[in-house]
Amino acid sequence: MSDNNDMIRDDGVIAGEYALGLLSGEDLLMARGRIASDPEFAELVAKWEERLAPLLDEITPIAPGERVWPEIQAQIDAQGAQGADAGLAGGDADSNVIDLQSRLRRWQWTAGLTSAAAAVALAFATFTPATNQAPVAQPAQIAAADPLVAQVPIGDTGLRLDVTYIPESEKMLVGAIGLSADGVHDHELWLVPADGSALQSLGVVAPGEVRSMELPAEIARNLSDGVQLVLTREPIGGKPADQDAGPVVAEGAFSQV
Amino acid sequence: MANNPVPANSEAREALRAAMIRLANGDRDALEQIYTATRVKLFGICFRILGDRKEAEDALQDVYVNLWQRADRYDPDRASPISWLATFARNRAIDRLRTGKVRGGAVPVDEAAPLPDAAPLADQLMIDSERAARVHTCLKTLEDPAQSNIRSAFFDGKTYAELAGEQDVPLGTMKSWIRRGMMKLRACLEAGE
Repeated sequence: MSDNNDMIRDDGVIAGEYALGLLSGEDLLMARGRIASDPEFAELVAKWEERLAPLLDEITPIAPGERVWPEIQAQIDAQGAQGADAGLAGGDADSNVIDLQSRLRRWQWTAGLTSAAAAVALAFATFTPATNQAPVAQPAQIAAADPLVAQVPIGDTGLRLDVTYIPESEKMLVGAIGLSADGVHDHELWLVPADGSALQSLGVVAPGEVRSMELPAEIARNLSDGVQLVLTREPIGGKPADQDAGPVVAEGAFSQV
Repeated sequence: MANNPVPANSEAREALRAAMIRLANGDRDALEQIYTATRVKLFGICFRILGDRKEAEDALQDVYVNLWQRADRYDPDRASPISWLATFARNRAIDRLRTGKVRGGAVPVDEAAPLPDAAPLADQLMIDSERAARVHTCLKTLEDPAQSNIRSAFFDGKTYAELAGEQDVPLGTMKSWIRRGMMKLRACLEAGE
């Protein structure tokens, strides 16, 4: 039965399924990956969205509460102030922070940016795995190593994952400071390859910890500036092999520092 | 020409388009103008999808903050600004729904507080009539399992899995109904372009 369905599932139909919001799990991840990497597919989605948009006129308009506009202003002000503070701080170490901030802002994430950048630098300095006898890294080396950094905010909780990839060592640091386990779910991190190929698991996130992992070459070669990450909610132990991935709970993208 | 004035909604649309362009250039006053003109429509959309006033207000806040940060995503030559903003709001609300924090989804229509009489008239001018007739007409031509389920996906943010579960039909059956409906809908929409 589902084979028959797949026969009529051309890209235009998949784009429509995405635009209507029908997809979940792995299908949703795949569609998001293709929107990011496949302009023709993204155009099909945009076309569906444009055609369907007039239906939104059917929805009864409702006045929002008075609190919303002041909060929008406050949030925008807070972000502006953060940028100004970082600018005043000056110094070599902070120039990375400022650079990172401006990149992060490009991605529209709203979490505390200064502390995020500091956490990435700290993770780099502190968590270089001892087992590998790697030299103790200094924050200043970030620039030399050209790592890729991604921040994956968890909803609007203010919590986030900080992911750093250091090309020279083929190591990835995944920091989940502040996150706690609920005892029922695990969260699995996925790379969305820019070429539209299948998502690659980066493993289950360890709440409250910064973990270092060595990346296999078939994953490492897909890492580059702008590549997306998504986080899904899974049963304990991660996505079962015979099931679809769980709902996407957060996403982010790598940026070269 | 004097007997053929520019319709009010066209004027409102052009004002909004101009504000979106100013916003992309970092004009903060433009954001307030856009908020004033569109908040009632966009809040209605967020509330319909999320089914919870507090969540919908958070989503609305998220919509305008994101709009401020990334105003350059809007292409003034392509889409009508209100259609684009409405779609943007719906997508943000759906994203929020998919994070699993919200139970919501289908909002019985009578739970949604009606628009107070004193609400700004500007919002009612923001209904975009371009091509509206076509998609409404096309959707109505679909037969019922397809039509009602496509409507539920669009307006209530339901996934294939949720629709199949609610109606106790196999997932493959639900997909089949909706995909056939979508292909018919697409053919109808394309015939009108």
